Amino acid sequence: ELDLSWISKIQVNHPAVLRRAEQIQARRTVKKEWQAAWLLKAVTFIDLTTLSGDDTSSNIQRLCYKAKYPIREDLLKALNMYDKGITTAAVCVYPARVCDAVKALKAAGCNIPVASVATGFPAGQTHLKTRLEEIRLAVEDGATEIDVVINRSLVLTGQWEALYDEIRQFRKACGEAHLKTILATGELGSLTNVYKASMIAMMAGSDFIKTSTGKETVNATFPVAIVMLRAIRDFFWKTGNKIGFKPAGGIRSAKDSLAWLSLVKEELGDEWLKPELFRIGASTLLSDIERQIYHHVTGRYAAYHDLPMS
Amino acid sequence: MAATRAGPRAREIFTSLEYGPVPESHACALAWLDTQDRCLGHYVNGKWLKPEHRTSVPCQDPITGENLASCLQAQAEDVAAAVEAARTAFKSWSAHPGVVRAQHLVRLAKVIQKHQRLLWTLESLVTGRAVREVRDGDVQLAQQLLHYHAIQASTQEEALAGWEPMGVIGLILPPTFSFLEMMWRICPALAVGCTVVALVPPASPTPLLLAQLSGELGPFPGILNVISGPTSLVPVLASQPGIQKVAFCGALEEGRALRRTLAGECAELGLALGTESLLLLTDAADVDSAVEGAVDAAWSDRGPGGLRLLIQESVWDEAMRRLQERMGRLRSGRGLDGAVDMGARGAAACDLVQRFVREAQSQGAQVFQAGDVPSEHPFYPPTLVSNLPPASPCARAEVPWPVVVASPFRTAKEALALANGTPRGGSASVWSERLGQALELGYGLQVGTVWINAHGLRDPSVPTGGCKESGCSWHGGPDGLYEYLRPSGTPAQLSCLSKNLNYDTFGLAVPSTLPAGTEIGPSPAPPYGLFVGGRFQAPGARSSRPIQDSSGNLHGYVAEGGAKDIRGAVEAAHQAFPGWAGQSPGARAALLWALAAALERRKSTLASRLERQGVELKAAEAEVELSARRLRAWGARAQAQGHTLQVAGLRGPVLRLREPLGVLAVVCPDEWPLLAFVSLLAPALAYGNTVVMVPSAACPLLALEVCQDMATLFPAGLANVVTGDRDHLTRCLALHQDVQAMWYFGSAQGSQFVEWASAGNLKPVWVNRGCLRAWDQEAEGAGPELGLRSARTKALWLPMGD
Repeated sequence: ELDLSWISKIQVNHPAVLRRAEQIQARRTVKKEWQAAWLLKAVTFIDLTTLSGDDTSSNIQRLCYKAKYPIREDLLKALNMYDKGITTAAVCVYPARVCDAVKALKAAGCNIPVASVATGFPAGQTHLKTRLEEIRLAVEDGATEIDVVINRSLVLTGQWEALYDEIRQFRKACGEAHLKTILATGELGSLTNVYKASMIAMMAGSDFIKTSTGKETVNATFPVAIVMLRAIRDFFWKTGNKIGFKPAGGIRSAKDSLAWLSLVKEELGDEWLKPELFRIGASTLLSDIERQIYHHVTGRYAAYHDLPMS
Repeated sequence: MAATRAGPRAREIFTSLEYGPVPESHACALAWLDTQDRCLGHYVNGKWLKPEHRTSVPCQDPITGENLASCLQAQAEDVAAAVEAARTAFKSWSAHPGVVRAQHLVRLAKVIQKHQRLLWTLESLVTGRAVREVRDGDVQLAQQLLHYHAIQASTQEEALAGWEPMGVIGLILPPTFSFLEMMWRICPALAVGCTVVALVPPASPTPLLLAQLSGELGPFPGILNVISGPTSLVPVLASQPGIQKVAFCGALEEGRALRRTLAGECAELGLALGTESLLLLTDAADVDSAVEGAVDAAWSDRGPGGLRLLIQESVWDEAMRRLQERMGRLRSGRGLDGAVDMGARGAAACDLVQRFVREAQSQGAQVFQAGDVPSEHPFYPPTLVSNLPPASPCARAEVPWPVVVASPFRTAKEALALANGTPRGGSASVWSERLGQALELGYGLQVGTVWINAHGLRDPSVPTGGCKESGCSWHGGPDGLYEYLRPSGTPAQLSCLSKNLNYDTFGLAVPSTLPAGTEIGPSPAPPYGLFVGGRFQAPGARSSRPIQDSSGNLHGYVAEGGAKDIRGAVEAAHQAFPGWAGQSPGARAALLWALAAALERRKSTLASRLERQGVELKAAEAEVELSARRLRAWGARAQAQGHTLQVAGLRGPVLRLREPLGVLAVVCPDEWPLLAFVSLLAPALAYGNTVVMVPSAACPLLALEVCQDMATLFPAGLANVVTGDRDHLTRCLALHQDVQAMWYFGSAQGSQFVEWASAGNLKPVWVNRGCLRAWDQEAEGAGPELGLRSARTKALWLPMGD
């Protein structure tokens, strides 16, 4: 499975990727119904996330309810989309809150998956043994998706085999659960490293590769995303396996989310635009999308109290 | 709750996730056309000129064919009126200090900023180009151009001391690709104090709008005049009295024809021809990014033309797969749609590309087309042509928009040979992550602009131009300014047109010469022969011509050179060129200094030969000394070549390189037989050219004396001196396709012939039109003009980042 020749010859030109990132945001926009439909689609890609030290069962419960009912009912009716069953793709919480989330979602009567971060999130600087144990416990609690962080020191020192072995062990510990590998691209030093880490993570069996934890200084950026998407395409061309992509951190506005959708559409194509292959990790994005939908439907700008909080 | 505005389609779009239309309103463009009652005239002297009894041409939306306005076609008298207005305006405009001109340019930039929506919607509406590119690219760059040139104008008195504006500039634009083509040229022209008459093709409203915006600023109405009319008006404009320079931008064959038409006319001609670009993709490249470079070049409405793509064989499959994948995602549609990559370019462009692709197919090429493109005329899909046999006509022809012609190469050396094997010399990009390889290719390419790992970047401070058949006129940066300047004190250009000069027979036959006795006099027998390839050779014709001294006695015989001798000399110069061009400026200077020392050792012989030509002994000695000084001065000056430019928004430097032209042919004037010869030889060699020189016809013996020293000091072929009939040798050199540039100082007729003949390979020529030059004066004999003409510029972009 591990084939280092796939990463040995790779070249990534930094300024050229930056230019492409700038262009891609200016070259595609959607307006009117297209914008509304795209925004609703974006909702279905969201991993609705709360990763705070002060999370308790009450705000987890509110989050789960919002995941089930992301957009006000009358707005969906106005768009004739009420029967589409629009929910977010998952909720994403710390391991200790997985039980709360599973319980709240069961109470709401839906099967939205619960994702848990793991492996010493966000720094990954704990012992391998505890990191693996963390995954097992989260799965036991009912998480069906695990967002693991990689060991950045292995990337920065070029220990690709060791990185591969670690992720293989994460994969094993996940069992049936989906494995999303967070590359923490803000700490990898170069775009070439981003490409190589992406490739290793995919070879080791990740279902998704994810840009960042949201806790680094630099989070999901377009240049990084372009490199990761190109790696996903190369991996698909080599193996025929489609790997998912999840940008996370710093995606706050509805306009941003549209740019991310068109980025994936442009670089990978329509077949990647489904929750099985594309997620957006975000917490405040949803309310801005709802605000835009409100405006699209009513022609007015919403007040804070017009929309339910998450 | 308010009434809903949602359409019925959201459900379908939710499933398909397709792109929708993003129309840009062009209401303000139409409103502006309405202010002209949908009838556009010309903008002359700050006023609209709408003469009666003129034919008009419809201005149509290139996509819908809808009539937007009718455009009056100028006639000769309208052209005359525009030139007259520009001449009047020139007197005051050029007399103002640079700061005043700078203020005017800045005000124009501000006006453009305020009315940019009008500008970009009008431009996109009438040209069909993607509005995104016009809005985010062209309009912004137009303002940057004005600001950059305003700064140049404000420092003109110090920075460009010794230069003065030429006068009225005639600007000829191609069927509109972008109004930027006009901005690139009017900005430097106006900045240095010239005034402009622009002849735009029928139905180009944007230049008229710009002229109006400039004219309405007030005090200088006549500095920018725009008239629209057919190409038949080009010679009319060019031959108007007062037009000092014609800047032509357009198709190759039109430029060539214009070069011939304008031979001997008063106006100087600057040509910028062709649209094709080149991309070199090596196996050390970031292939995905290089594919984006190809998109930038050919499929994004950024560049005007097609792309020649050279791919290293080892990454051919990978590159082609990625290219084809990427093409599938391109979108084409109405230019005013904010989410398309490519608009349409009208029927003519569409027909051109259809013809090219059909012919390529019939010559055996594979054609791949993809993308989301409307099927109706005049849209044309992005096209990738491969497997074109190298010798087929399509492989030689210029690649039209939106075609990319891909062909493989094996090694970097072969890539250079292939890339330099076309007559075009516009722009190219090199894609390689290996610094050494990228620089090797970047320096080796014979083009005006090279981008390393990027394509199509532009900036006002970076000169843009070309070489070979792309023409040698420049815009942007310092080079763009010199296009519209001439050394102070140069008399206004005069026409040397001789209507009955027969180009077919000029200099064709060599008048036969008979022996005229034997040499008499005190001096030793002069050297005899053609100095070619480092030694004196007998002429092919095996005959000689006598040279008289000032008292009518025979001074000596010189060899009668002919066509075959010129051929040999050019060959020898070409052989010497790579070695000489590869020398460091220091090594070149050392050789010139050695020649200077040799000249001083030979001083008495040289002075006595000059004396026999009627020069006083003191003056003769002074001429020898000055000649030696010239050699030393150019050796030193050529040390400082090129410099680094910093560009806003780009991390990394842009190098402005000064590269040798190649083989330079120089026909020396009759007067100053030693000084003029050395004054021309020194800069040519200092900048790395090899030369074929025709010495003074009256007294070639001085040059031959110098050759004796060159024979011992110089590598063979570096400088070649051919004596003989001047008209005949001029003819051979001017018509030689492999001579890269020519300087001619002789008769008016000869000048006209040289200009006419240069149309063959579009070599840059410098002619004196029969006027004498003060070679002993610093400005005319060793001024910066000679340095400018001795080398060509190349801009090398080096973006950085990791």
